[in-house]
Amino acid sequence: MSSDIALNDEIILEVRNLSVSFSRGGKEMKAVDDVSFSVAAGETLGLVGESGSGKTTIGRAILRLLPDANTKSEGAVRYKKTYLNTLSSTDMRHMRDRLQMIFQDPLSSFNPRRNVEDIVAEGLVIQGKPASERKSRVEAALSAVGFDLATVAGRKPHQFSGGQCQRIAIARSLAVEPELIVCDEPVASLDVSVQAQVINLLQDIRENRNLALIFISHDLAVVKNVSDRVAVLYMGRIVEIGTGPQIYERPAHPYTRTLLEAVPVVDATRKIEPDGKRTVMPSRNRPQGGCAFRSRCPRATQICAETVPAVTPAPRGQMVACHHPHDEPAPGMAVRTQR
Amino acid sequence: MDATPASHPILSCKAMTCEMDSVSGPLQILQDINFSLDTRRALGIVGESGAGKSMLIKAIMGIAPRGLRTKGRIELDGQDLSALKPKQRAKLIGRKVGIVFQNPMSSLNPFVQIGRQIEEAGCIHLGMSKAEARSRAIELLSFVGLPDPEDCYNYYPHQFSGGMKQRIMIAAALICQPDLLIADEATTALDVTVQKEVLDLLQTIQAQRQMSMILVSHNLGVVAGRTDEILVLYGGNVVEYGPTSEVFRNPRHRYTEALLSAMPAMDQPAHTRLRTIPGQPPNLANRPAGCPFAPRCPSAQAKCHEVMPAMSAGVHPSHRFACHFPLAEIAHVQ
Amino acid sequence: MTDIGNSPAFKPGPNAKLGDIVRHAMPWSSKMKLPGATPFEFLAAIFLVLLVLVALFVDFIPGLVSPKLPYGDFSQLPEWSLNGLFGTDDIGRSIFSRVLYGARTSMMIVAVSTTIALVSGLLLGMLAGYYRGIFERAVDLFANALAAMPSTLVVLAFVAVTGPSVVTIIVVLGIFDIGTYARVAKAGVISQSNRDYVLAARAMGATDSRVLLKEILPNLIPALTAVMPTLMAGLIITEGSLSFLGYGIPAPAPSWGGMIASSTDLLSRFPVLIVGPILAIVLTVYAFNTIGDYLAQRLNNRERES
Repeated sequence: MSSDIALNDEIILEVRNLSVSFSRGGKEMKAVDDVSFSVAAGETLGLVGESGSGKTTIGRAILRLLPDANTKSEGAVRYKKTYLNTLSSTDMRHMRDRLQMIFQDPLSSFNPRRNVEDIVAEGLVIQGKPASERKSRVEAALSAVGFDLATVAGRKPHQFSGGQCQRIAIARSLAVEPELIVCDEPVASLDVSVQAQVINLLQDIRENRNLALIFISHDLAVVKNVSDRVAVLYMGRIVEIGTGPQIYERPAHPYTRTLLEAVPVVDATRKIEPDGKRTVMPSRNRPQGGCAFRSRCPRATQICAETVPAVTPAPRGQMVACHHPHDEPAPGMAVRTQR
Repeated sequence: MDATPASHPILSCKAMTCEMDSVSGPLQILQDINFSLDTRRALGIVGESGAGKSMLIKAIMGIAPRGLRTKGRIELDGQDLSALKPKQRAKLIGRKVGIVFQNPMSSLNPFVQIGRQIEEAGCIHLGMSKAEARSRAIELLSFVGLPDPEDCYNYYPHQFSGGMKQRIMIAAALICQPDLLIADEATTALDVTVQKEVLDLLQTIQAQRQMSMILVSHNLGVVAGRTDEILVLYGGNVVEYGPTSEVFRNPRHRYTEALLSAMPAMDQPAHTRLRTIPGQPPNLANRPAGCPFAPRCPSAQAKCHEVMPAMSAGVHPSHRFACHFPLAEIAHVQ
Repeated sequence: MTDIGNSPAFKPGPNAKLGDIVRHAMPWSSKMKLPGATPFEFLAAIFLVLLVLVALFVDFIPGLVSPKLPYGDFSQLPEWSLNGLFGTDDIGRSIFSRVLYGARTSMMIVAVSTTIALVSGLLLGMLAGYYRGIFERAVDLFANALAAMPSTLVVLAFVAVTGPSVVTIIVVLGIFDIGTYARVAKAGVISQSNRDYVLAARAMGATDSRVLLKEILPNLIPALTAVMPTLMAGLIITEGSLSFLGYGIPAPAPSWGGMIASSTDLLSRFPVLIVGPILAIVLTVYAFNTIGDYLAQRLNNRERES
């Protein structure tokens, strides 16, 4: 089953039928359910979804960072020619300089007892690079994010603001010269004025180094800005995946439309009229048959309760998991203006 | 409901200043805040972290941390709050103002049935009887959109999702039939789809109950289209204040404009370069003499670093901004 | 002490004078970094430093007689001289000398038992906290079993079998503290493992041992140093009780508990002769507990800040 089309042929990461479940107190909870996608070199794939959609779990499952205890993963994760999911933990460690991660809260992703130089050099120390090479690579990585090694080297992370910490975190990932970075909500904890710096920085780095990014976020506007392709997740499944324009201008899945309509946008001409809709979230512990979104879906019919919709091509080219996909443009999307 | 058309300010702040001591000297948390909110109007207060928005709300509500020195005049429904004794003041605020905070988990007591938590303020401030309070609470639960309100009354907070808890907090804020409802980052912790529903609910309630409302948020999108006026705070100062659509269509202060351009917009194509604002927000302990935004402002001149700009009016008389070199007025296109 | 906190300019409280005097009288003491310590905590720290110095260098104190040989008359009352400061015991040995040498015994037991307990507790606790599962259950069981046993009675039983020996006491006392250190370490590892920096290190390719030793261990030290003094105070008391019961440090070697035990016969006639060893135990235990409270307090403050 091929559930999406990468923009060019050089696919560096392929995820096939990934499922992850956590067991807690004897109960099993499926966090990720049969998710497949691929990422090409130099491409940004946005993973967007609300809390509980499994987006963070997917990112961690790819990098094999989920705890071993009480976790069950199935499916295949292929990086170039290597299947990551079947590697021994030693072989996986050797892959880690090519696959990196950036976290939501940069400060908590630093060991509070280390200084900036040690933090950025950590990956190189683990790889056993000689001290002379480390120094120059740390310097290069820090200057790529706009810092001068000499002025920041000995300082501790708590002496920096949130945006600066996130730049240091990016430098730490860059120091090992990865080919793919999983960014898990990298700007969610930042103020708007600082968020723009980090987004631009990530874009520059991606372009200059032909990096592939998996950009996990709940913010649809940020995802639209950074992503070439977007996957929309709902309760552990991909409901729709396609290029940015496909997803944002002609969303096929009713959930994608609900999400897009809910985004608070700055629009001086619009006066919002409340519509009084109310969400009833289905319970995660008692899995229901059929489409997970059907209880919230205005288009739901009998078939939605009976069969889980397969991911199939929608008329506009994206892939969608819906029995009754939309084809018309999203209302207001084309005319929506900032001011 | 009384239907007098004339509106008067439900809340007004005049020359309000807040200061607090810290290890590194006195912090100027808020400086010379002036605004007034008319009945049945909605005000948005926006600003980034450290701008002073939540301290402003706390100072108004009289729940500021110890050591905060507030100067200036705060009038609630025509009464000067600083002239009242603390007990009277608390009673007046409790009757007139309902507030919803960001985190419903810490605002709700996990061991008390939610119905009782909703009633509490009603029993204290309005002296409602048990039965009366109960029927009001159930009525409010159904009003904020909880299914089976009679059953919900007996449930405990953990039995509800985040969005539902925030609806419960709204019900609790409404029990005294306040004239003013304040939502302090009330939807920040919620998912977008739930956020929209809660914002819709707040807007509906405001219209139906003819209340005034203050929406406090760091997200400009949350207040856009849902408020009549907007107050933009930066480093403890009001930098721009005016009708929401005016401010968004035609921002005059350079900070407001920079902030709007720094936001990724839904109508930009992918990989659009965002405009960044260099530098960091001001240090409250050692603030510059002039405009708080001057160190980060690309158009700042010598005057900006020396003199704090006064509020001046734009073409729209109620659109005011504190900038020496404001952006040009954009012609109205209707 | 009623007006503390009312005036904003108020800094360390009326006791500040005591602290100032201490700092003034002992300028070197300002090198001890104890931010925010009260004068009592400061004095406790100085007392413990002195205790360690005495334990290490008691042999070199000029004029101090041997603790094992008679020095003067039996049961001589205290007098104003180095060796006669606390009087002499029932066979004429200097009580002051024996108290100082007793410090060496106590400190040695504290140091070795704590090392045994800390190293094994840390190892068990870190494995339990990091790998969870069967490790965790086994360590929990071990720690709970230890906590359920009255340590003094168990040591007594051991000593009854093996005969009184320093090694037995040190080892058994050490084993009893393993449980507490293991629990503290385990809780620390569990809370640290959830932080992103541990995940970040793993994403960098760090091995488990590197994550445990280089990332997590340094962040466990504050919590461990906070419980350590309190457990050390417990060791002093248990050792004292054992010696008092006659199952502690074998006879000629000086120990505080043993000295109290041997002077009980004289208690009705010369109660003043018991002051020295009792003072030593009380002050030491007090100092350890005070420092423990201080460290715990600082740890709390720091966690609240971060």
